[in-house]
Amino acid sequence: MKKFLAIMLCMLMVVSVFAACGSKNDTSKTEDKKDAMDIINADGEEEDVAVADIDAVKEAGKLVIGITEYEPMNFKDENDEWTGFDTEFALAFCEKLGVTAEFTVIDWDNKYTELDAKSIDCIWNGMTITDEGKLNASISNPYVKNAQVVVMANDVLADYADVASMADLEFAVESGSAGAQVAADEGLNAVEVVDQATALQEVASGSVDACIIDITMANAMTGEGTSYADYGYSVELSAEEYGVAFRKNSDLTEEFNTAMATMMSDGTLDALAEKYELTLVK
Amino acid sequence: MFWTVTQSLFNGFITTVELFALTLLFSLPLGLIFSFASMSKVKPVKWLMKTFIWIIRGTPLMLQLVVFYYGPGLLGAGADKILTDLTTNGSEFISALYEWSPSIGIFAANAAIDVLEFFASFHTYDRFISALVAFVINYSCYFSEIYRGGIESISRGQYEAGQVLGMTKAQVFFKVVLLQVVKRIIAPMSNEIITLVKDTSLARTIAVYEIIWAGQRFIKSDGLLWPLFYTAAFYLIFCGLLTILFGKLEKKLDYFRS
Repeated sequence: MKKFLAIMLCMLMVVSVFAACGSKNDTSKTEDKKDAMDIINADGEEEDVAVADIDAVKEAGKLVIGITEYEPMNFKDENDEWTGFDTEFALAFCEKLGVTAEFTVIDWDNKYTELDAKSIDCIWNGMTITDEGKLNASISNPYVKNAQVVVMANDVLADYADVASMADLEFAVESGSAGAQVAADEGLNAVEVVDQATALQEVASGSVDACIIDITMANAMTGEGTSYADYGYSVELSAEEYGVAFRKNSDLTEEFNTAMATMMSDGTLDALAEKYELTLVK
Repeated sequence: MFWTVTQSLFNGFITTVELFALTLLFSLPLGLIFSFASMSKVKPVKWLMKTFIWIIRGTPLMLQLVVFYYGPGLLGAGADKILTDLTTNGSEFISALYEWSPSIGIFAANAAIDVLEFFASFHTYDRFISALVAFVINYSCYFSEIYRGGIESISRGQYEAGQVLGMTKAQVFFKVVLLQVVKRIIAPMSNEIITLVKDTSLARTIAVYEIIWAGQRFIKSDGLLWPLFYTAAFYLIFCGLLTILFGKLEKKLDYFRS
């Protein structure tokens, strides 16, 4: 009797789990049920399938934007509100789309996974356009210029005026970053670490001589009032550009590019660039 | 600055404690159920449980967090992609099936759509809940093995004595065995529970804003390193309290000493 009761209880649990799944299925937004004839009557010609993100975003009423806290692109002001160049840019774009912007702080290492799993709709955080990025996402046209710089202690800065003089130095770079690419291109000895902040930590701890990071990052993290007051940079290694990453084949990329072109020509972005001391890509 | 940092870390610490407390709340009983299943006389149940424990204990918790959070979303997006591809580009197989027999072709197409639509409805769920589920399942597996060791260490004589006194199996377990098990497993359990306090920091991989995340934030935003090291103070105080608590509990159960 007891065993029978136990089995019945187990079955009830299994059924309720399925029922729960089923009810979730009902509430999901499958507004137009696909028709069997769609499959059968397809012409068989391979077309690239665009991801209908615009509709999905408009239906949700919000664009979920993956960011990390990163001055001057996305950072908190004194009222604990998001501000910065990318924040204001994103807010303006969302207004054009007619949706609200939702900023989500993500783990940068998992940015493409977040994008693929649809927990975010785009990565919009001063992201350098790289070949790796193009493999994993659909990247917009560039909007802001950036450079990779060599950061080292201020007292030795004068000894290294160009790349040729740095051949014997040990560098730290962020794994998979634009800085890592530059180090490889220039044939420099580089240790790859998890992020740019760690690269700076390596320099501070003395385990390497210098690191290669974004100029925007170097401005924010070195100099007076930071933990790296005695560090600075002088050599710029490569020029590069920032872009916004959307899902592969997403129709949002084209929408964004069009909207950005308008904002470039009507001066909206020029005002923002001046405010945050950045250079636009025109 | 010190005050701002302390406040920010404290906010992160609340998430850490919530994750810790809820994980314990669910995994302590679930671990007991798992241990029963792994000692079950029904062979399939036993081996299923053992395999499950092997998988969970044999893979990193960090990977499990990624699977539990991103898994459903990736599955949903993948199914959605296949579905759109199927409805725009079609399938030679289903078209051929339709030519051979229209009704079977339509049935197959509908079945494919139904299955794909079911999976396409999967999406990522709340970050904290996903982390909690991963932690509960992971820790239940570890706890279940500790329970199993404790339960199997109780001599047969105790069960037989209970039976002689006319107690049912459940009565013997809950009134005679369980408390002795608790006494015996308190040291390994406190080990595991203190590990849990620090393991909660792994939740940052799926962007659950716990205390380490709060500490690291200052490195990027203000170029400050010390907040990250300051988090250690919170962990130390919390683990210190837990150690005292376990010490007291152990003393309370001292009367079992034979």
